[in-house]
Amino acid sequence: MKYFAGIDIGSTAIKISIVDGKKNLLGSRISASGSMFYKYAQETLDALIGELNLNKNDILYIVATGYGRKLYKEANENISEITANAIGARAAASEFGEIKTIINIGGQDSKAISLDSDGNVVNFAMNDRCAAGTGKFLDVVALKLEIDVETLGESHFKSTGTPLSVSSTCAVFAESEIIGLLGNNHSIEDIICGVHYSIAKRIVKLVKRVGVKEGIYFDGGPALNMGLVHAIENEIGQRIFVPSNPQITTSFGAAIMAVDSYNYENS
Amino acid sequence: MSNTSHEIESPNEKQNRHKAMEAVKLLNTLREDFKSPILSMEYFYDLFERVYCKHESLHEGKTKIGTMCIQIPSEIIYALDGVPIRLCNGFYTDDEIGSDFMPQKACPLVKATVGQFASGNFTDKPDIVFSPTTCDQKTKAGATIESFGYKIYDVDFPRTKESEASREYWRRSVKQFAVELSKFQGKKLTKTNLEQAIKKIGYAQSLYHKISEFRKHEFVPILGLDVFLITNAFFFDKINNWIEATEKLVNELEQRVRNKISVSGKVSPRIVYTGSPPIFPNYKIPQIIEESDAIIVADETCSSNRMFNDMVAVDEWNIYDMMDSISDKYLKGCTCPIFTKNDDRIRRIIQLVKTYKADGVVYQAFAGCTVYEMEQRSVLEAMEKAGIPILYLESDYSPSQGGQLSTRVEAFIESLKTRRRNKK
Amino acid sequence: MLNIKKKINNMNLIRFRFWFQIVAFALIVYGGYIGLDLGDKLPTFACVFNGEGTGGKCYVGMLQHDLKHPFETFIGYGGFAFLISLAMFAVWFWVLNKAWCGFVCPLGTMQDWLTTLREKLKIRFSEYSWASRGKIKSIKYILLILLLIIPVMISNSVLGLPKLPNGLSMPFCDICPGRMLIPAFTGNFNQFYIDFTSKTDLVMTLLGMMILGIFLVGAFVKKRFFCYFCPMAALQYIFSKPALLKLYKDGSKCTKCGDCYRACDMDILEIADDVTSKNLVTEDCTLCLKCIAACPEDGCLEANFAGKTIFESTKEGFILRMAMNNQKESHE
Ligand code: SF4
Ligand code: SF4
Ligand code: SF4
Repeated sequence: MKYFAGIDIGSTAIKISIVDGKKNLLGSRISASGSMFYKYAQETLDALIGELNLNKNDILYIVATGYGRKLYKEANENISEITANAIGARAAASEFGEIKTIINIGGQDSKAISLDSDGNVVNFAMNDRCAAGTGKFLDVVALKLEIDVETLGESHFKSTGTPLSVSSTCAVFAESEIIGLLGNNHSIEDIICGVHYSIAKRIVKLVKRVGVKEGIYFDGGPALNMGLVHAIENEIGQRIFVPSNPQITTSFGAAIMAVDSYNYENS
Repeated sequence: MSNTSHEIESPNEKQNRHKAMEAVKLLNTLREDFKSPILSMEYFYDLFERVYCKHESLHEGKTKIGTMCIQIPSEIIYALDGVPIRLCNGFYTDDEIGSDFMPQKACPLVKATVGQFASGNFTDKPDIVFSPTTCDQKTKAGATIESFGYKIYDVDFPRTKESEASREYWRRSVKQFAVELSKFQGKKLTKTNLEQAIKKIGYAQSLYHKISEFRKHEFVPILGLDVFLITNAFFFDKINNWIEATEKLVNELEQRVRNKISVSGKVSPRIVYTGSPPIFPNYKIPQIIEESDAIIVADETCSSNRMFNDMVAVDEWNIYDMMDSISDKYLKGCTCPIFTKNDDRIRRIIQLVKTYKADGVVYQAFAGCTVYEMEQRSVLEAMEKAGIPILYLESDYSPSQGGQLSTRVEAFIESLKTRRRNKK
Repeated sequence: MLNIKKKINNMNLIRFRFWFQIVAFALIVYGGYIGLDLGDKLPTFACVFNGEGTGGKCYVGMLQHDLKHPFETFIGYGGFAFLISLAMFAVWFWVLNKAWCGFVCPLGTMQDWLTTLREKLKIRFSEYSWASRGKIKSIKYILLILLLIIPVMISNSVLGLPKLPNGLSMPFCDICPGRMLIPAFTGNFNQFYIDFTSKTDLVMTLLGMMILGIFLVGAFVKKRFFCYFCPMAALQYIFSKPALLKLYKDGSKCTKCGDCYRACDMDILEIADDVTSKNLVTEDCTLCLKCIAACPEDGCLEANFAGKTIFESTKEGFILRMAMNNQKESHE
């Protein structure tokens, strides 16, 4: 059998997807990246191969993407995460319809990508200068509120008051703002809700830079947070599509790319 | 296309949420971030929360008369059984909406006002709007608002105030306004209802003056921010409730002054604030000032002092004289920068500095508010001549931009502190 | 002391002045009956023709009399008498300054009564335009000069002109509305006549009647109508500078709101618009002090007597006078 892998080496996590020759997703795996990500990447790939009962030699082609892509020498090819994301997103959303815009919130950056009807990237905007508006920011917030990141979404919908916005654009200052709010006994839910809206507003600004169109797709780890999803939907004024496994879209895209490259090279 | 399930806000809901978020942010700051809070301020915090966070309507069943500037006499509106609602707007949310209808460089206040009309989203929607032809932008905004389908009535306002002609002209405008409103309301202006309205507003003003009196003390018992909030509340609150709450506040302040309870420190510089009006919730600059350990003791702005300072003085309590007095009040003492020249405004600022023993003046103009921007030069020159330190700032409604401004304000305040210490 | 000061500053000036004027009126018109005699050099229209009722006499009457001397006697005794009278007049005036007009003059008081009547009838007052207001300012000086020259020309031939007939010996009194009105208050209507004895008398008495009519109608529609033309005011103004009672303004405190101007019966624009002069007793001012009562700025306007502030504008006083201090009853 022929299998193909896509490896997305991001700043906080390594995501790997394996597809078959028909580009069906067979499985995926996520692990923290950390300092020795080359080693981790290899370990993770091996683990995934084992999990799927495959043979290492069945993986015919590997495409790497993400920050660390160039350092993963085993890959047959590497492509930018923008392209990979676009390919993966289109594939993941294929049953729902055509997507025009991708919002991706990663651990330390966020992006908005605009596609044409053929799926080509026509424009993209990125925020990588500061942690506000990224997954990192949510981690900091959860830490300060002493709750699990996973429960942020739930808490969001329990907010009954006015969302308490955090105005600082810098995560460090926002942190002290949150401490201030907590000190004055404001409801945690309202604070979380406010944080979500603050991120949502920055994201929408980013999206506006590439142009808001119908068909918005949202992925990256924070897309698991339904509160944030809701906030972004409200801010942008339309429904957005979140894939069931939003963290791996980019690696999925890389894996699809692997199929195409392999076929091209062997045709 | 979606796989999510929650309801998405309608544009109005979104606008409301944004405004609520802006409002609550400021209200929380006022409630929590300063020392020795005033108990009776809670009425005002709560009022703004009800109106801007919970979107409660205050005047159900009453005719709401929108006014675009302070020059539309509230006395006449109350006498004719209407509720004046001043439409000057301080919300960034509305400013953004309004940006689509006005030039990029226009004044954020006017944009916000236009934006709110464009959205049509009001807790107390004005049934008719009276727009005095004051500055260019307000004048033109009237037509834009009219194009959204509102009933707008322009009230001619002269742009000089010294001449006999301007006085007559304005008196005629005010009369015409009264006639128009009386028709709209189906009610007649009488000696009794007008006299009552004048006295009621006069009383409200007298309460404001009492608060001002307290601010002259060495121990300033109230923040400038709080005073802005109180005067802003007068834009839309039920006047009787406002009066009652302010009476309580005056009593509390009286005690605070007696007990020497102060919201400022010993070296906190005393500031006179002038320029484009701080309108809720755009208290950006006043907030920076008072968070940097200075205290605003007086202001020369149309959302506060200018609205309350001059009072209607009647010689013969008959309708003819009351009408003339009202007209004169809104023209003669007005220090609005739309007038040709404005020595009066300069004299007033200097006088405020003297009577409130201020250490310096902060002059802020909205980027796009041409008249304040233009007058800045002459005011700065005059202050320099009078030996009064002054800081000129330009700002808008956007929530960013804070850092740069606060650095400038802080530096200014520190210089005032040093001056103070050196004097001693 | 502070308390008294506050009480004064908070007083209801209109009522105070109303009663003060009544008392002053009574003393001048009826004072004679209780033996009051303030002499005949009063800087106010205490009409000579009032007979025994009068508590003092008007200096304008005296002045005309003093001047009706041939030049020869004037250089000697006549001139001396003239100077003494003038000095007496000046001393009286020195104390109260123009407040003689605002608080004492019976003609002024009568005009104020007409104003009150009109106000009660809810009839609007009229005003001069600023232009005509400026033009009529000189009329009182012309009248003053006439009333000074005519008596002189009766006894002397000036510049070779023929002497004027004796019928003109009191030219101003002939046309002064006070001559008819003031005696009428003591039941003496003898002054309402037309004198046919000579052409001059006929013209002058007719003119007097006409002016009386104008006075009554004028003062009814225009506050202090007559005072704009009053030669007494012109004469007084010459002595106003050194007088003890003053109306002072601190221009730095003035907001130019114009409240004072609106209250001013004499439409004196400077009271509001002049922010540089200290002494605001202008030529037409009657020192009625209404402007002080109408000014809402603390210490902006003040009545000053010999260097001491006796009454000044305060916000508190303003609010009380406008009855803006208590709203309980009008709360809906
Ligand atoms: S100006 Fe008026 S008040 Fe004064 S003396 Fe003449 S008439 Fe009397
Ligand atoms: S200036 Fe004042 S005192 Fe003089 S006449 Fe006018 S109101 Fe009276
Ligand atoms: S009332 Fe007072 S403040 Fe107003 S113009 Fe007159 S003197 Fe000035």
